[in-house]
Amino acid sequence: MEADTQAHVAFFLTGRRQSELLDAVDGLDLRPALFAGYRELSQLRYDYPVVLVAKPSDEHFVQSLSGLMDAALAAAARGSEAERIRKHAMRLEQEIRALVAAGASGSLSAIWDKAASRLAKGADKSMTDSLRRVRAAIKIDGELADCDAAMPARLLRHAWSEVQKQKAEAFRKDLDRLVLKLSDILKADFERSEAGRSAKHLKASVGSGYNDTFDFDAMSRLLAKSLPKDAFPEIRRKRIRELLAVLGAQQFYPSADATAKKGTAKPYTFFFDSCSDALAAFRERMPRLTELARAIAIAELEIDGQYSEAKHGALFEQFGANGLDPQDLAPFPDYLVCVNAGRLRADEHAQLMEILSSGLPIKVMLQIDDILEEASVGDGNLSSGTRSRQIANMAIGLNEVYVLQSASSNLFRFRERMLRGLTYGGPALFSVFTGASAEASGLPPYLMSAAAMESRAFPAFTYDPSAGTNWASRFYLEANSQVELDWPIQGFSYEDESHQRVSEDLAFTLVDFVASDHRYARHLARVPREKWNGSMIPVDESLTRERKGLPDKVPSVMMVDANNVLQKVIVDERLIREARRCREMWHSLQELGGVHNSHAEKLLARERKAWEERMQKEAEAHAAAPVSAAVASAERSTSATPVAASAPVEEEPQRSPDEAYIETPRCSTCNECTTINSKMFGYDGNKQAYIADINAGTYAQLVEAAESCQVSIIHPGKPRNPNEPGLEELLKRAEPFL
Amino acid sequence: MNMMSDTMSATACLLQMADEHFELEDYQSGVPRWCTGCGDNAILAAVQRLCRDEALRPEKTVFVSGIGCSSRFPHYMKTYGFHGIHGRALPVAEGVKMARPDLTVFVNTGDGDCTSIGAAHWIHAIRYNMNLTVFLHDNQIYGLTKKQASPTSPIGTRSNTTPRGSYLEALNPLTVTLGVQNVSFVAQAADWIPEVLFDIVKAAYHHKGLSFVRIIQRCPEWLPKALDPWMHDPNKVQLLHHDDGLQLSTGLSRVYKNQLEHDPMNIDRAREIASGHETIPVGILYRNPAVPCYEDLRYSDKLRTPDLTRAGLNAELDKYTVWPQEAKEKVA
Repeated sequence: MEADTQAHVAFFLTGRRQSELLDAVDGLDLRPALFAGYRELSQLRYDYPVVLVAKPSDEHFVQSLSGLMDAALAAAARGSEAERIRKHAMRLEQEIRALVAAGASGSLSAIWDKAASRLAKGADKSMTDSLRRVRAAIKIDGELADCDAAMPARLLRHAWSEVQKQKAEAFRKDLDRLVLKLSDILKADFERSEAGRSAKHLKASVGSGYNDTFDFDAMSRLLAKSLPKDAFPEIRRKRIRELLAVLGAQQFYPSADATAKKGTAKPYTFFFDSCSDALAAFRERMPRLTELARAIAIAELEIDGQYSEAKHGALFEQFGANGLDPQDLAPFPDYLVCVNAGRLRADEHAQLMEILSSGLPIKVMLQIDDILEEASVGDGNLSSGTRSRQIANMAIGLNEVYVLQSASSNLFRFRERMLRGLTYGGPALFSVFTGASAEASGLPPYLMSAAAMESRAFPAFTYDPSAGTNWASRFYLEANSQVELDWPIQGFSYEDESHQRVSEDLAFTLVDFVASDHRYARHLARVPREKWNGSMIPVDESLTRERKGLPDKVPSVMMVDANNVLQKVIVDERLIREARRCREMWHSLQELGGVHNSHAEKLLARERKAWEERMQKEAEAHAAAPVSAAVASAERSTSATPVAASAPVEEEPQRSPDEAYIETPRCSTCNECTTINSKMFGYDGNKQAYIADINAGTYAQLVEAAESCQVSIIHPGKPRNPNEPGLEELLKRAEPFL
Repeated sequence: MNMMSDTMSATACLLQMADEHFELEDYQSGVPRWCTGCGDNAILAAVQRLCRDEALRPEKTVFVSGIGCSSRFPHYMKTYGFHGIHGRALPVAEGVKMARPDLTVFVNTGDGDCTSIGAAHWIHAIRYNMNLTVFLHDNQIYGLTKKQASPTSPIGTRSNTTPRGSYLEALNPLTVTLGVQNVSFVAQAADWIPEVLFDIVKAAYHHKGLSFVRIIQRCPEWLPKALDPWMHDPNKVQLLHHDDGLQLSTGLSRVYKNQLEHDPMNIDRAREIASGHETIPVGILYRNPAVPCYEDLRYSDKLRTPDLTRAGLNAELDKYTVWPQEAKEKVA
């Protein structure tokens, strides 16, 4: 083995670098080759910054600056000036992006004005005109948020506030209705009481203009005579007053007119930065919540006039004893807890798991700034343990938790899924990687978080238990690029020494992602250009190779330095081991998402085998005796033909002409027969006639009924009493009805 | 949105525990004064059956009527009722529905009540398409006042007002209704086919919008033989059926062989069928659930609080107030 290759293999196996053959990457400012195009983010158009829309009219609680700009241009840039306006608008967008990246904060309108005034300096009037026209086409405003460490929590809190606002509005409306209707009951009770019909009250209700027109004492005396006999039960009056007191004292939502009701308790807050605080608050408020939910349920019954002391009293006594189910909790506010994984202590961690497994409407945002920290066990593994990126996977196992995992770069695309999680009736976990730790390596958080998602280090997915009963409808993995592959493949072009363009496909693996973090520099070694040889293979290829004995190939990644010069960097085995673990985890996610599902593939293989065997047998049989086989199959098909199902026929009872009967279903309830003899003819549950008692009348009545029946459905049959007078004539009259 | 949206919450169960079970007798109030053999009895039985099957709460149900034999209907229902004035059943019912959309409102009106003195209200009620179920009890005669010709009396009907027989072709309530804008449900039943009558009453009740059901009924007192040709010859009755309309039972099909498959969404065909002379079409002629209801169009979710009512009244009454000069300035 050549010395160079030996040095590479030695580094791969031990991480020990021979300095004369391999360079340290420390201080070289290398970044993955695929990052080369993303050096200056503010020059690019992408989803960020976003506008947290102040008064969203619909579900668009967040809009991207570029999206807003495109929509405004579509409306404002028309005709011959379109191109000029578009160019100016793009320059402004770039300026805003640069300002925000430099730390400017504020509303879109404020930063717009700032950027516009910068651009206007030295520019002609057409610039001002363009920007004014585009600005006029943008109808919304709100805080601008760049893709930084604070953005995920800001975005989620903004969305949560909007959801809570809608809930509060609906709740208040409902509460106002209940209060008004309950008060109406009491008011109606008063109007019907002696006091309500007193001369004084009557006088007050007529108004001053007609005070002398009526004799209110006489009116009161008259009205008092018609006081209702059934007094309004005192217990009901008391109950309604109590309900009104409970409804009025609620603290779950601020009252619509807070200033009008002095002395009312302050509304609760539902935003927390600690799991244990949120849980404690929930437990503490539970009795008040149950009391309010109970009051609302009773109030509904009262208003509908359906509350029955006997039926409901005991049941409502025990209301909420078994806890409340999600539908009962749905009208109340959801709790929001924002925690940072890096600062999550063990006890907080336990509380987080308790929240997630409780089924309570508590939404937790777990912000992860670093997924490349060393594991606490110190075995050199990355911390892919429970502290950060595995929590979402674990939460899925709880089955009833809405889980959203995403890098912050993808969060804007997940905005509707975020909203879905916030409106979901149970607990929700939003696990977001911000990429903020990358700033130490000089990379913007957006790029780092996007790379984490791309490299499968932090795949994006959602698990929505309300979307259906199976994994296919609940689990969503498609947001990741090239979801069928182990690693996404991207085209990469560069110029070689002889100034020729070289294009190749590069897989973006976990190693590329880790290589961008300076803390892992010791696991990498740059190979000087003159030492490049065929023993260096890409990481993805290396992962597919099965190693037996001493490796002859060493995994390497392509990187670029600060001058965008291509470098090759070999990787030690520790990183490869991590990449393999990462790939295995991705495989499990793929299976959950229905990609390369092993159960399906196993079943498919079995069915294919069975099908092939059957085909084989049929072919053999066909070859042996073609005629007999054809006959046999024809016979088989004949015998397999199902007997045509006969349509169900309603059986009518066989009637003898001697028997007296009525075709009851055809009776039109005209009372003719029942008027003749109400004992002989009766009505059934549908008020249709039948012969109730044949012995309750005479044959003459039967015949008379048959004659007078409007729809001719009475059949008198033969007489039961042979001695009835006039039988001969009666039999003749009965003839047409037999 | 909810994790268990297909199940019912404990509270919802508690709220439903008060649901009661009703019998036909629970809706019966008093003994009908209609003549023996009168078709109104059949309609009463079908409607009471509907109330029982749908468990309509009597205190949430209103029957509104005008004047005539049929308009005695509310007296025989143990629900709320409004025996109104001649021809004005529909506007009264509309008012009830507007103020109390939570109530189930039925209207019983006769051929004289609806198609003569109440004709203008009828046309506009169809156009307003409020969620009401309207039964036109059509016996083709003024019965309560002892036999005068009504607009639906067939030409040649001898009555106290037309002793030599009526001169005009009868008005066809079906074609008139089908010609009005916003019509959403039109059906025809015959009182002597109770099974279909009940099915139509049920379909009309379930339709959201104004369901207009013309029920051809016998008057055994004043026109005892008028409908005999159709009653005695089942082939003169054409039963309309469709997957989206009525489905006919085997027993019914055995008696009534003249059947026609008709899609209730097809208004042109419905108008054609309604215009026929020889046979009586029985079934759902037209149904369009997409027509908006007036009460929904005018719905306001603003709570009518005493303050709001007072402010509205004051604003209205202030229009007629003669203000002293200084007060007027103050208000301005």
